[in-house]
Amino acid sequence: MIFRFLRRFLKEEIDEPTRLKLKFEHFRHLLENNTRALEIMADMEEKLSGDFLFDTAYLQTQAERLGDNVCHLVTELNLLTENRYPELRSICQQLREDILRELTATPSIPPTPYVLPLAGLSREMAASVGAKMANLGEMGNRLGLRVPEGFAVTASAYKRFLEASGLEGELAKHLSQARIDDLESLEATSREIQTLVRQAPLPPDLEAALLEAGRAFQGRPLAVRSSAVGEDTELSFAGQFATLLNVDAADLPAHYQEIIASKFTSRAIFYWKYQHFSADELPMAVGCVTLIPARASGVMFSLDPHAPESNTVLISAVWGLGKYAVDGHITPDLYRVSREPDQQITEQRVAAKPVALAPRPEGGTEEVALDPEQARTPCLTPEQIQSLAAIALKLEKHFGHPQDIEWALDASGEIYLLQSRPLRVSAPRFAAEEKESTWEPVPPLLRFGIRAVGGAAAGRVFLYMRDEDVANIPPGAVVVARQPAAKLVLVMDRIAAILTEAGSPTDHMSILAREFKVPTLVEVGGATRVLHNGQVVTVDADAARVYPGLVSELLEARPRADEDLTANSLFQKLRRILKMATPLNLLDPGSPEFEARNCRTLHDITRFAHEKAMDAMFALDADQSLEPRGCSRLRTDLPLTLFVLDLGGGLRTPGRAWISEDDILSRPFRALLRGFHHPQIRWAGQVAPDLKGFISVFANTRYDMGKAEKGLGGKSFAVITDNYLNFNSRLGYHFAILDAYVSEEKNDNYISFQFKGGAAGVERRERRARLLSEILDDLGFKVQVTGDMVQARMVKYSLLETEQTLELVGLLSAFARQLDLALTSETVAARCFQAFKDADYQLSFLHPEESAT
Amino acid sequence: MAEQLLVVDDEPNMLRLLKTILMDKTGYEVTTTNNPLEVSKLLQEKPYDLVVTDLKMPLVDGMDLIDIIKKIDAQIPVIIITAYGTMETAEEAVQKGAYDFITKPFRKETILITIKRGLEWKKMQKELAALKKQ
Repeated sequence: MIFRFLRRFLKEEIDEPTRLKLKFEHFRHLLENNTRALEIMADMEEKLSGDFLFDTAYLQTQAERLGDNVCHLVTELNLLTENRYPELRSICQQLREDILRELTATPSIPPTPYVLPLAGLSREMAASVGAKMANLGEMGNRLGLRVPEGFAVTASAYKRFLEASGLEGELAKHLSQARIDDLESLEATSREIQTLVRQAPLPPDLEAALLEAGRAFQGRPLAVRSSAVGEDTELSFAGQFATLLNVDAADLPAHYQEIIASKFTSRAIFYWKYQHFSADELPMAVGCVTLIPARASGVMFSLDPHAPESNTVLISAVWGLGKYAVDGHITPDLYRVSREPDQQITEQRVAAKPVALAPRPEGGTEEVALDPEQARTPCLTPEQIQSLAAIALKLEKHFGHPQDIEWALDASGEIYLLQSRPLRVSAPRFAAEEKESTWEPVPPLLRFGIRAVGGAAAGRVFLYMRDEDVANIPPGAVVVARQPAAKLVLVMDRIAAILTEAGSPTDHMSILAREFKVPTLVEVGGATRVLHNGQVVTVDADAARVYPGLVSELLEARPRADEDLTANSLFQKLRRILKMATPLNLLDPGSPEFEARNCRTLHDITRFAHEKAMDAMFALDADQSLEPRGCSRLRTDLPLTLFVLDLGGGLRTPGRAWISEDDILSRPFRALLRGFHHPQIRWAGQVAPDLKGFISVFANTRYDMGKAEKGLGGKSFAVITDNYLNFNSRLGYHFAILDAYVSEEKNDNYISFQFKGGAAGVERRERRARLLSEILDDLGFKVQVTGDMVQARMVKYSLLETEQTLELVGLLSAFARQLDLALTSETVAARCFQAFKDADYQLSFLHPEESAT
Repeated sequence: MAEQLLVVDDEPNMLRLLKTILMDKTGYEVTTTNNPLEVSKLLQEKPYDLVVTDLKMPLVDGMDLIDIIKKIDAQIPVIIITAYGTMETAEEAVQKGAYDFITKPFRKETILITIKRGLEWKKMQKELAALKKQ
């Protein structure tokens, strides 16, 4: 009997601390994984901004790490909660598989007919018909500009050709066997492969489609050109893909094969040699348009790329077909036209153009000599020059970027557009000198903070003090808050900027703000004090400055993210991966929707797991913990019976029966004790006598002094590590649970505080609860009051701030002990609130005669 | 006269991004290739002021390219782009004569600043050589 008792006793003595220790370890691992996952998400989102360059390997590494971290997080949560959320495991696994699939996916070829008429094309169709044809369709159909008639042979046709002809397998085999040691052997392989492509049989359905499309153009000469899809353009030298001019529609199948063969340049061969060859990747579309028998043709740039400051349109022109304008065969005429509304021709350099390229009657082209007079004549009239310049500006405006345009003038003088593509403006923009990082247009109101989302914006300040305020945020506001609030996502589509005093670039709010491209600064100390409601400010998140009023220099049209950059398939892949990772759907832990099964993204999982882990730790078996088993007892002059259980690093010498406060290493515990020891705090026995000047309180209360004194002897219990504190205490008749984690990693830091009970009547206890909630709210906590229970939580403050707050919480716990005695009315409650704010912790207004001495 | 840059990377995606960034209001003319085998030919066709190359490529890697480039023109600064975690190789590349290296992923400004410094270094080398001749 005794043995059984002893065994049970001993077993529990060993088991309990071990169990707690394990639980705490899981919690720490969960926090670490949560932090890492959030960091990776923030890092990946940052890459989406267009400020960074990354490669496929980066995407792979980050996506895998992210998946691993979130899955570990789920495992830790289930270990922590005795497998309460098994469904999270499969949700996480599914998301991970989806992301992996996206990583390895090649951009899919849209299923379209083999042939699409130009009259139905627009820029969104680049993945089907290549950028060249898509833009040509856009110009004709959306802008009403004159373009030749024609059609595109789609990427889908290319895939069909390669698959049905057996070319795909044959090319893969040929490529893997080809010996490539140097440029010569590479070029030889390229020629062999081009021959294979030319000789492969076209599948009958594709051949029929090509002939059918060509039939409408019977008797009209065609120009057949490649229209590369995506990064395929990088595998050619400038203009290396074939262009066939003046060909017969009846021969279209052969011409089509010729263009496809031209795709297999030595660069393409080099690429394919070391990649798995696939008909799905880097497909080629082909454009077929009527050949404009041009009197003159040329190229124009909507902005002179080498002298953008001159603000001119640059036009070059030759007689005949445009090929001679681009290949340097002859010197073309050169015209400069001002981009100002008057469109003045500022320069006209007419070259001697002795020859021209012309269509040959039997097909193909030939060079023709021009008579000397025509050779020296300008190809364009001033009206034509101005019409062209107007078109160039129209295209630039429409496509949102300077354009490089090919045009032709037919016999009757009508302008036809043959191509428009983005122009790289290489020269530095005039007056776009780099601004010094210290450059300040006006003295700023605030000049610190950490950039969470870059950019600049202006608006009226809205001080966001509690979550309920979210509904009152006006559109265009600059939201200023103490703490980051994920709830702001509800208005992120309509606010100008966010400033928070706490927070980090990797927290939930910052990630959301990045998604909505809302300029955001965190750690802007004092923002809620310096700025006031309704004040107009300009936020420069890049330089971490807040200026009074509107600063137009900062707000001027910021260059938008380079389309070429963000349209890149790497960016798109990243965007698709992030879609499965970062959107946050679970916003409100109080909502019935806050369930494991509703996690749809990795971010949802981290949010959910973090919340549930906090709950699990917060309710760390409070009642059981109050039984001191296998812990040390603290020798202190505080009127507390305090037991300490060290889970690691919390005590200088663990395992001793009695310890002193000097033995404590735990940072949060030390901070709390500093609060308890505040010189103004009155402990046991001092409460009632001090209230003698407030005798009316006694007259109206059923307070039992004896009971109160007894209550002070209640046990308190602290579970600690170097960074962690779980403190369960009875101070007076109040029951408090405090749970805190303090470290250098601010994302992990939190204080969770619960306060309940008391000896006074319900009304006073509730009044005290309300007062406490106001004080805690003022300290920066998120507070919830249920009856006389106050629950407060604060997360992601810096180490120093969290420690200071803990100290104040210690102070407040002791301060609160006196309160329900005093709280006879709301007026007294208000004065107590003010007393705490004024650091009058002994409530001297209750006993003025004493404080006077 | 615009400075001529040659960019070598076997990933067409990266080439496209690099070209976009390096030509964005910088004043540089940029030629790209995914095929390190043709670098020697390209360098002989026209003079380049600087080469940016990926380190890890099939057949001829960035390390080999340093030798190839230095044989043609010892004065051309070569900037190596390395993947994260290949610091040692990157340092080796610098030992071998690369001007500098940058690690992927990187900020746009990082590569622009490195190139700017590389071009200045080249100019100084040239001036130094001219002074020595006097």
